[in-house]
Amino acid sequence: MQNFQFYSPKSIEDALDFLSDKGDSCKIIAGGTDVIPGLRLEHLCPAHVMNILEIRKLRGITEENGRIRIGPTTTFTDIVQSDMLKQNLPLLVEAASSVGGPPIRNRGTIGGNISTASPAADVLPAVIALGAELELQSRSRGTRILHAGDAVEAPYKTQFNPDEILTGILFKKLPQGTKSAFEKIAQRNAMARAYMNLSIVLRATDDGNISDLRIVPGAVEAVARRVTAAEKILLGQKAEKNLIDKATETLAAEMVGVWIPEYKMPVLRNVFKRVLSSVL
Amino acid sequence: MKKRGIGVGCMFYGIGYGFSRQDISSATVEICEDGSVIVRSGEVDFGQGSDTIFCQIVAEELGLRYDKIQLIAADTFTTPNAGPTSASRVTYVTGNAMLKAARAVKSTLEPVATEILGENDLVFVNEEVRSKAHPQKRMAFSKLAKQCHLRGLQIVETAWYDITTKDVDKETGQGDAYATYSYASQLAEVEVDTQTGKVEVLRLIAAHDVGKAINPSNVEAQIEGGVVQGLGFAITEKITQEGGYLKTNSLGEYTIPTSMDVPVVESHIVEVPVSTGPYGAKGVGEPALIPTAPAILNAICNALDIRITDLPADLENLMRLIQEKGE
Repeated sequence: MQNFQFYSPKSIEDALDFLSDKGDSCKIIAGGTDVIPGLRLEHLCPAHVMNILEIRKLRGITEENGRIRIGPTTTFTDIVQSDMLKQNLPLLVEAASSVGGPPIRNRGTIGGNISTASPAADVLPAVIALGAELELQSRSRGTRILHAGDAVEAPYKTQFNPDEILTGILFKKLPQGTKSAFEKIAQRNAMARAYMNLSIVLRATDDGNISDLRIVPGAVEAVARRVTAAEKILLGQKAEKNLIDKATETLAAEMVGVWIPEYKMPVLRNVFKRVLSSVL
Repeated sequence: MKKRGIGVGCMFYGIGYGFSRQDISSATVEICEDGSVIVRSGEVDFGQGSDTIFCQIVAEELGLRYDKIQLIAADTFTTPNAGPTSASRVTYVTGNAMLKAARAVKSTLEPVATEILGENDLVFVNEEVRSKAHPQKRMAFSKLAKQCHLRGLQIVETAWYDITTKDVDKETGQGDAYATYSYASQLAEVEVDTQTGKVEVLRLIAAHDVGKAINPSNVEAQIEGGVVQGLGFAITEKITQEGGYLKTNSLGEYTIPTSMDVPVVESHIVEVPVSTGPYGAKGVGEPALIPTAPAILNAICNALDIRITDLPADLENLMRLIQEKGE
């Protein structure tokens, strides 16, 4: 049975004060879908647990200055039900809708998915593919912006400092004509950890040249990232078969020797080709 | 590429413990003064609905409404031993004990009704006892019950039923293995994604010979539950251990099918009554699960021309076999 102090601040200010003092021994909890199992299995043994669900400002989807701001305690259900996100960031909605099942999505949060930094996360790779920026606040550093692609340094370990709290996830709206696609492979159709997922964002000009391409596989590497080596093969080019094949092999080559088990390699190649063709 | 296939699995299954292992049950039926009935059974209903069918059997035999039967079950202090809820035996063995106890009590009631009505060709129906030949000669069951009480008669009976078999010859395997057998066939249609190894079961059709479905809804529910277990067995459930430690030690790791993984299950109840079963009934508990995995694996083979010999047919297993085949 765990023994910890539980604190539930009502404002960001109170949360920051607490973290500036106890941040080193504090675990932040929102929906709890990762933290509660972690506490039960004693993978997490913090002296303090700080609940941020009472800080209303941290939840919500808003537009400001042409960008979309999503609060960290916004649930996956909030995201899935947002018409504004369905229109502007459909990749995020697809990724969020693939998490667990309705009860998990009602509790799980986008901030949690990022902060837990599981190699098998479904939403974090989509957030990276969309080039999001993470707003972090602390007493010691004030407000700083961290690019989503730099947020995770190792499985289950973010670059966030112990006294920092994630206060917003900021997305630029995608230019007209940008397409995106997401696929998740799992052992069963709900309540399943990703065996693999793939996020792709692509924009082509009228003559078919690919002007923007982002490829982020999830649950294949220790830390999800844009596989720029594969993106470069197709950037500025038309999507011809030989280039697609070359990009596929480059993607596979980038994975080898890192983390991916042998049996996932053919699946990665197949899924990449079909997700890519769905956005061409 | 998505490939579809259809496969069939067939089974027969011995009901009860068989092979001369002791297989007995008992039940008590008591007629109360007001015509309601108390039934006692040691059997545990763990969701398959044995409580329901015991009340149905006694109600049917005594011509009463189902809600007139009060069941006391699985109380080690007050209920007679019915043996375990296992081996798909409960309907067959304890159901028979119920029937025997109900008939025993009926044999006390009948002479009294004959005396009162002056007829001996009686039928118990619609909460009454009446003469078959002269239906206007009838009396309420509750009145008959009261009369029996007033006369101080034996209106509580405990009956035993024994299906223990003789056993088979140890050399030839021939003889008397089980008291009876249930039969079933299931058909599965699957779609396999050869790019990922994912198997979807599109349709599952089950036909089960249960002798007699005392409660058809319960039989369907049992079939559906068994099918879900069979689907998990075939596709999603895997136990892994390392150095004696169970790695798949939670429902997060050991993945059973969710509602999103299961197709609509079409159940067909086949009734070929067995003379030794209560109202001709046999068992369906385990049979519901048995043909499912074979049907699914045969469907996968039909789709891919690949024989799976190692379960589950999960993503890794299938992808490895597909790669080996050179898809």
